[in-house]
Amino acid sequence: MRVVVLAALSFIIFKWVLIPIRAEGISMEPTYRSGSLNLVNRLAYRYRKPERGDIVGIKLAGPHVLYVKRIIGLPGEHLSIERGQVYINGAPLNEPYVKNRRGWDVPEVTLTAREYFVVGDNRGMRAADHDFGRVDVSRILGRVIF
Amino acid sequence: MPAAILVVLIGAAVFAWRTRETPNEREIRSRLDTLRNEVNTSTKDGIGVAVHAAQIGSYFTDDAIVELGEGATPIKGRDTIMGMVARLQPRTAAFRMDLDDVTIEMVPDSNAADVLLTASFVRRNISTGEESLDAREYAVVMTKADGTWRIARITTIDTLR
Repeated sequence: MRVVVLAALSFIIFKWVLIPIRAEGISMEPTYRSGSLNLVNRLAYRYRKPERGDIVGIKLAGPHVLYVKRIIGLPGEHLSIERGQVYINGAPLNEPYVKNRRGWDVPEVTLTAREYFVVGDNRGMRAADHDFGRVDVSRILGRVIF
Repeated sequence: MPAAILVVLIGAAVFAWRTRETPNEREIRSRLDTLRNEVNTSTKDGIGVAVHAAQIGSYFTDDAIVELGEGATPIKGRDTIMGMVARLQPRTAAFRMDLDDVTIEMVPDSNAADVLLTASFVRRNISTGEESLDAREYAVVMTKADGTWRIARITTIDTLR
């Protein structure tokens, strides 16, 4: 009986609350190595909005394949990247989690009220090989908790 | 405790009810599964490549369109798709495709369906064995003719813009 309840509880938790994911690829290095196991908390943004610096799971067609990225731009902000340095509303953004930086250039974008700007921590990659950009808030599945 | 079992059983019944599929939806899902298996079957010899490309081409309508995203020229027509598949063959020996989160919505009063899915492409470097994964979201329009579901249009969705 306990096993049944425990199994049901585990099913509910790991399907709707804490989604286990395995990071694939190098775009979040050195924070997350390819192959590392993490959990996405789907309830993280139930009572608060995503914040700058949060690492989030972004859904594609559904919750089984996610992008894992860091939020660097918030709704309404102007964001640009000049020679690898991120600027928010014209001011440089301090990013201690970035260890390698290539000279990426991204022309200024203005985020709408529903958009966040997300990017991986590995800026040592070529920008063309790295998926990053504006994302609608509805695609943010939750916060990666470790 | 019997109440807990009842809750679990009701939950399972609701889950089964919500995830039930019509015969057409099952057929489409099965078609996509066999397409994935076909794509993941690699072959390198000349006749095999042509047969393989033709088999993959049979999953598309004559006038199928594949839109690869902003800036890329759309691929038009089954023959063009087959030609591209044939040219890519030697490279796909170290290539695997997976399809996840497939949702199917039948278009009312027609033999068409809108499908949303995530396709993951795993490429393995033949010399180092290192794998890289690229996942993309696609909107797929499928139509049924002569009892067979085929892909009429694939549109790449830019999740991050």
